[in-house]
Amino acid sequence: MTAFTDMQLDALRELANIGSGNAGTALSSMLGKSVDISVPTAAALPLAEAVAVAGAPGELRYGVVVPVVGDFEAIVLLLFPEPDARTLCGIYGIEPSTPDGHSMLGEVGNILGTNYINVLSQMVDMVMEPAPPQVVEDMLGSILSSVLLGRGDGIDEALVLDSELIVESEQCSLSFLLLPSHGGIKQLLERLGL
Amino acid sequence: METVVRMGEASASGTAGDTLACIGLGSCIGLALVDRGTGVAALAHVMLPDAGQPDPPQPHRFADLAVPALIDLALATGARRTRLEAALVGGAAMFQFGGSGQDIGQRNTTAVARLVEASRIPIRATETGGNKGRTVRVTLGADISITVREAGGREQQLLGGWTGTDAKVVFA
Repeated sequence: MTAFTDMQLDALRELANIGSGNAGTALSSMLGKSVDISVPTAAALPLAEAVAVAGAPGELRYGVVVPVVGDFEAIVLLLFPEPDARTLCGIYGIEPSTPDGHSMLGEVGNILGTNYINVLSQMVDMVMEPAPPQVVEDMLGSILSSVLLGRGDGIDEALVLDSELIVESEQCSLSFLLLPSHGGIKQLLERLGL
Repeated sequence: METVVRMGEASASGTAGDTLACIGLGSCIGLALVDRGTGVAALAHVMLPDAGQPDPPQPHRFADLAVPALIDLALATGARRTRLEAALVGGAAMFQFGGSGQDIGQRNTTAVARLVEASRIPIRATETGGNKGRTVRVTLGADISITVREAGGREQQLLGGWTGTDAKVVFA
């Protein structure tokens, strides 16, 4: 019951490539360190599969949720494994589990999310704005399922655009997931003529 | 053998030593039905309170369809209707999004509890609400054990007196 054609998924993958490129540049200039970006994936998956592609459901993650509002509704979700969050916060001498650590991770989510969606917004000429980030430390499955169900969108399938950002010199990586709402993605594809 | 019950799925067993688990519940509910007399347990991973349609794929996603379906599954696995007992885990509110998804955890908890009670099945234990994710494990044996663990926390006994492996030793 996949709702997307291969051509549409290819186009979305290309958008994710450009978006995550922009986000990677922003992270790189924030940290003053070089950031590598994996080739993004774009897939429409049943919700249980969407959780499975992100990792084992019981693994602990720091999750940063940045809702995107406007013409195009989506959720940006950053997932940091615990040691990687520790490394990233450590650059600034902060513990990730403290209020300062959450604030720092929220800010990373804000910067990455904003840079990712700004370039999307320009390309498709739709208004997209980030809402304030929410930061949690929890199990991967709990985070992702609550995000996918909590927005009250269709629950048969979730479209997942997944990129991996790697801070090379620090051996620190994070997953950047864009989870568009069904209405938003339909409009976006129409703008692209697909 | 451990069976991981993923979102929208359900599983049952009557084999001592088997484990049924919902790993990383957030706003979802892990609903366990157990017959401690025959040693049968069934576990569903419920996502939403109400299907809003008569015959959707994966009915265990929705409380209104999951509860009767899970009762049937437990009975088909050998449980006796009058001895069924229930435990509910999950229903957390980890984020505030607003909109129609607001309080989904609370609504899931209410819907599942109401339907279980309407089926005259006593709810022996609940670990719901709050803002942390949870994992629930049902271990079968002479004394069925249900444990719950919050993210980064320790395993806590919710139902039954022994942990799975100890129980078998005690009754061996």
